[in-house]
Amino acid sequence: MVAPATLRVVRCGGSTLHGARAVFSADSKYLLCAAGDFVKMYSVATEETLRVMGGHADLVTGVQLNPHNHMQLYSSSLDGSIKLWDFMDGIPIKTFTVGSKLLALYALASSEDSVFVVIPKSGERDTFQLVSVKLTKAAGQDLEAKELSVVLDGVDASPKHIAFGREGEYVASVKEVNLQVFFFKRKQLNRFSVSAIKTKSGNNHFTCIACHPTEDCIATGHADGKIRLWRNFYHKKDYTFSTLHWHHDTVMDLAFSMEGTSLLSGGVESVLVLWHNESDCQKDFLPRLGSAIEYISMSSDGALCCTLHTDNRITIINSNLRFSKSIQGLIKSTDVKTGLVVDPRTKALVLNGEPGHLQFYCLQSDQQLFSLDIVQRQYIHQAGLNQADLVKVAFSAQGKWLATVEEREEVTDPELQLKLWFYDEETQSFKLNTRINMPHEDHITDMCFREMDELEDDSLILVTAGRDCVFKVWVMVEDTDPEAQQSVSWSCDFVGSYHNYQATNCCFSEDGSLLAVSFEETVTVWDSVTWDLKCTFCHPPGKIRNICFGRLTCSKYLIGATDYGFLCCWNLLSCALEWSAHLNVLVLQPDPLSEHIAAVSWLSKESSLFVFKPNEPRPIYIQRNLCKEKIQLAAFVPRDEPETIGSEKYHWLRRSQLFFLTDTQELMTLSAKSLEERLTPSSKQLAVEESLPVTPFSLLLGKHRRQQSQEDIDLGKLVHNKHKQDSPAVKELLHTPAHVLPSASFLCPIFINSLLISKENKSTEEVADEVEMESEKTEDDSDEERGVTEMEQEDTSPMELLGEMTCKLSKSQEKELRKIRKMDYSWISAF
Amino acid sequence: MAAAACGGEAAAATRALCAFSPRDRRFFAISGSDGRLRVWETANSRLQHEYVPSAHLSAACTCLAWAPPGGRPPPSKDGPQRKKRKSEVAEVDKQLDVLAIGTAVGSILLYSTVKGELQSKLDGGHDNRVNCVRWHQDNCCLYSCSEDKHIVEWNTQTCKVKCKWKGDNSSVTSLCISPDGKMLLSAGRTIKLWDLETKEVYRHFTGHATSVSSLMFTTVKPMNENKSFDGITGLYFLSGAIHDRLLSVWQIRSDRKEKNAVMSFTVTDEPTFIDLTVSEVKEEPVKLAVVCRDGQLHLFEHILNGYCKKPLTSNCTIQIATPGNDGDSTPKPVPILAAAFCTDKQSLLLVYGNTLQPIIEKVSLNTAESHVCLIRDIQKVLSLKTDVALTKVKTPVVNLDTKVLVPGIPGHSTAVKTPSSGKEKKKNKRKPGETEESIEQRLEALDIDVSKVKTPGGLPQTDSFAVLLVQGLESNDAEILNRVLNTRKENVIKNTVARMPIHAVIPLLHELTKRLQGNPYSASLMVRWLKSVFTLHASYLSTLPDLIPQLGMLYQLMESRVKTLHKLSRLHGRLFILVTQVAASETVQDVTEVNQTAKLVYEDESSEEEGSDDEMIADKDSDENWDEDEEKEEQSDEQDMTVEKEINGDSDLEPENESEEE
Repeated sequence: MVAPATLRVVRCGGSTLHGARAVFSADSKYLLCAAGDFVKMYSVATEETLRVMGGHADLVTGVQLNPHNHMQLYSSSLDGSIKLWDFMDGIPIKTFTVGSKLLALYALASSEDSVFVVIPKSGERDTFQLVSVKLTKAAGQDLEAKELSVVLDGVDASPKHIAFGREGEYVASVKEVNLQVFFFKRKQLNRFSVSAIKTKSGNNHFTCIACHPTEDCIATGHADGKIRLWRNFYHKKDYTFSTLHWHHDTVMDLAFSMEGTSLLSGGVESVLVLWHNESDCQKDFLPRLGSAIEYISMSSDGALCCTLHTDNRITIINSNLRFSKSIQGLIKSTDVKTGLVVDPRTKALVLNGEPGHLQFYCLQSDQQLFSLDIVQRQYIHQAGLNQADLVKVAFSAQGKWLATVEEREEVTDPELQLKLWFYDEETQSFKLNTRINMPHEDHITDMCFREMDELEDDSLILVTAGRDCVFKVWVMVEDTDPEAQQSVSWSCDFVGSYHNYQATNCCFSEDGSLLAVSFEETVTVWDSVTWDLKCTFCHPPGKIRNICFGRLTCSKYLIGATDYGFLCCWNLLSCALEWSAHLNVLVLQPDPLSEHIAAVSWLSKESSLFVFKPNEPRPIYIQRNLCKEKIQLAAFVPRDEPETIGSEKYHWLRRSQLFFLTDTQELMTLSAKSLEERLTPSSKQLAVEESLPVTPFSLLLGKHRRQQSQEDIDLGKLVHNKHKQDSPAVKELLHTPAHVLPSASFLCPIFINSLLISKENKSTEEVADEVEMESEKTEDDSDEERGVTEMEQEDTSPMELLGEMTCKLSKSQEKELRKIRKMDYSWISAF
Repeated sequence: MAAAACGGEAAAATRALCAFSPRDRRFFAISGSDGRLRVWETANSRLQHEYVPSAHLSAACTCLAWAPPGGRPPPSKDGPQRKKRKSEVAEVDKQLDVLAIGTAVGSILLYSTVKGELQSKLDGGHDNRVNCVRWHQDNCCLYSCSEDKHIVEWNTQTCKVKCKWKGDNSSVTSLCISPDGKMLLSAGRTIKLWDLETKEVYRHFTGHATSVSSLMFTTVKPMNENKSFDGITGLYFLSGAIHDRLLSVWQIRSDRKEKNAVMSFTVTDEPTFIDLTVSEVKEEPVKLAVVCRDGQLHLFEHILNGYCKKPLTSNCTIQIATPGNDGDSTPKPVPILAAAFCTDKQSLLLVYGNTLQPIIEKVSLNTAESHVCLIRDIQKVLSLKTDVALTKVKTPVVNLDTKVLVPGIPGHSTAVKTPSSGKEKKKNKRKPGETEESIEQRLEALDIDVSKVKTPGGLPQTDSFAVLLVQGLESNDAEILNRVLNTRKENVIKNTVARMPIHAVIPLLHELTKRLQGNPYSASLMVRWLKSVFTLHASYLSTLPDLIPQLGMLYQLMESRVKTLHKLSRLHGRLFILVTQVAASETVQDVTEVNQTAKLVYEDESSEEEGSDDEMIADKDSDENWDEDEEKEEQSDEQDMTVEKEINGDSDLEPENESEEE
């Protein structure tokens, strides 16, 4: 194996899933959505990622199925290109370079070879236009698409602000309080506007738009929570609109069902509302979706809909408004206050999730394992409401104890709670052991357990450092109270302070004998048995930002980083400064399994990584320009088995893997592997061809399906036609109550016979009679209708098959068939 | 390990219809008695999805095998060892998702667990129950054996039979592919080693009386390195048979003489699921986990090193049982269904419970103990899990008996202690109970002879109150104490405290401290008592040598209470100044009105800040009084404290005190 040349920064998760509206594949088996720079394909049945299609250089802003080939997919990106994919195989077919930033993408069945995109107007800032891009049919992979024609000017950048109407006849766009509708055929542009009203809850600006699939009707959502349904917009004056109002805050997205009979809307309330027949009173709700709904999309068969949430989750919902599946990426919380912590038990990355929850994120599968509800209070979506949130998390060495700090910002003092959870193996869940109200009088700045592997139980110590100028040492004590059920609980053992400075960081040495607490500019070192102050270090000017002890062979060193741009290494034996370096260190992270320490610096708008051993001031590894964003947090995650890395330079990556979280909450890691080894799993998969046995039934179905897919477009008509050809015998069978039906053996030949009815059979008198009978019947409700049509759909296919097969029928069989045909239907008329 | 990771991965006994996904064990597939195939995520034991084969009742699932991860390049010259390394390097991302399911009617289903749908159906190879399916680790061949005595080699790409040959005279029950992928072990009664190129028998091994249910290679290369390795000679493999409580280990030797098992492992019942870690280095022992029919798990650690006559017993046996403390008093055993080693070889994934809803747990190995019984409350685990299916939110258990520490309660802050010797004090401090005990002992030691005679009849008088109080304190009778301490009359309190014997002062203070920690209403009553105790017995208290630890808790409690009071009094002061200023400037105006507003504002603020009833505020003046009283005593001790706290630079108590005295 050739040693790879460089370490590469690999994005390994946490990319935004809500960059664009997700689309279902034509068969509703797969869900395609934009995830950062990638397009991801998920299986609806299993929530698994099937394909990751990478190739765009910037955020993907639009994903649309090719209306002329439902196995293909268009994607647009901020890098100015449109890509056409074969998503079943994950292969890019073509790349069309447009040039300017593409902010939204729309593909229509009516436009043959062009798609619509939103681009910024050249020369003007913050004005955008909708243009149609002609996609040339020329051969070759990389093509230029320069034929742009402007459709609408002055549109909004958001993809939610433009919608195409029934069969692509018109396009509607909203911006602020204006709605404009452009009719393609008549080349007519109608503008409407609502009077701008500013109320306490917000204004009535347009926020989203959706067009009815079959009628001329436009639904618009507003910032004040209203939904307006516009009709008659052909006329500039005589237009009408009706208002639906349930949402109390901004309507984030709207979607019509495939038939247009119902409308789905969602907002920050995280409730999906289903409006029936566009009426204000008939509505259904699916509440408690977790977080604000960003996009809603429907599958083409109307069986599923999915909502994309602001916290990076996709929820797949059945047509009867029931949860089906949820795909959860790395939850983006507004601020990761807890830092990146590794749970020793599950090896998952633990950080802030939904407000008040801790998310356990599995790095291997890029999916959330679970989220732990720590605060256990109902989260209310309302602006200006102070909610309790987690600020600090610490695990003990074996993952037996979990300490959490939650904080609620109050007007005067923060409301703090320190909770100590015990992992109960019996029930396989965390159990609250001790709750401490106001452990400190001000914010808690740092918290750590003394990590002692061998004798965890009795020597477990927790240290919290607070801005109230003290650090507190918490120990486990045996409860003497006979009423208490718990045998142990936590209590404070020692309160330490230093010259009334705020305590900012704390950490234990590897053997647990020393505790280092930094007080603004000074680092103090305490004996963890007697709690005596052993020595102090400082490196003025500048406050201490991070401290950590060296490990293994370097355990006699203490490393500190100041906010004045110095990295210092003190020798604990001589109590003197060993070396210092001028480096603006943001993150200092020691590897728990080796003596290496990673420092991430922020210099001239780029982050750089330095890996060093405390015993020598020269770094082992330097990676400049790690990424353009500021790196907030880092964590070493131990590998299950040490990796073999060829190059001596990357030996520090052998035992553990380094992960970073950037400002934009992208999770990144460093990989020494060459690209092909990290290829997407899909391309490595064994190519097992789909070869299901061809049972006669599946053969029939398959044939029929193929036929149907072509007729998909005018399905409505098809249903109607089929309904007319409905077999009366079957209908009778289905509609007659079971207890008055004759025996099954009697019905069977009739049923089979009805299946055999072909065109020539129709001409017979009997059938004619029955057609009359049928016409007398009133129309049934749609449900039953569907049942019948399905039945019919199946029975069309045997005809084709029989066409081939009839010749093979033996004479005896034919005789029998004839017998059946002459069967008496008189019993039917009795009803 | 290559064998275990890939081909032999699901080398469970053919009867256990469950298998872990290869290498990272992310998924666990189990086919229950209802014919449904369920795939569980091991990390959070969550049902990933469920698949019901169309003919799940007639053609029940008989064996399972996960496909090996990734189509790997053809074996390089370095041999299996090198290749194996490479496979480890490869990102543990998502492996191949195909699960081969053998059925009772002879067909084999290939099911995609990622897509959640049937991929293909292999038909026409067997006409009887499929006993075992194995994937070849390098090319995508599939081997299956059946009750119909045949072994079939399938091409999974085309779903056609590549080769079919008769494997035995009776049914073939188990298969295993050699680590280099060139040989195949098959077993009915006898074990045969086939050359896959020529499909000829290379070796015979006999020794099992019943049909073999599991086969597994335990090494990837021979232990003596000096000999040249041809890919198969010198390797060990393991076999288990039905109704057999012995697992046999065989060695493939170059000479055809040795045909008996080289060693054997004893277990308590028929093995149903076997997993092992393959040793690469000579010194590293093979770790073997065997799940038996009786639901126990046996762990073996052994360095394979030639012949061993005596059957080996397990190093460690793991059992699982319910706690059985509430309701049903007897603990019930919970059967272990399967077990697999994690990639670090240090921990074990255990699957237990019933097949419909198994619980998957990761436990770290500790072979020091020979018998481990894990207690798991599976009912509770399952009830905790039910919500997980959709939202993945887990709610940790919060019981009512959780210890709650609020400011002022002992344990919230460190105890005030005397500067005594280090070690002994530490012990004391860790167990706060001991101090309480010592008080009782002291009480007993004091040997009070209180007149037990109650004043007969009528309402208790002040003098009887003192006696009652002492009695109550001595006997710790809550009723008596309540009666005495809930008095509101200032006069009665003063008299009682004055008349009580001096030795009862400290117990009274402790009792008062305990009551102060309770609700604010009782605290406001206790404050009067405290006040009179401090005014009347200050001289006695100051003589006590251990005053600081005795009153430390009380001091902290008062401090935390006063802390909010401090802000309150500041507000009060400012408002007072403001009001008087207004009053002074507008003397002409009605004074009463101004007074009214002042009162209103004051009460409002206080109820917000203090959270207690008005009575507390009414007593505020007295509060301040006793603060000062206490301060007098504390000041004498302050010196000691500062000495002790010198390491802190200065006493954090001092500024507080000063500010209080403002």
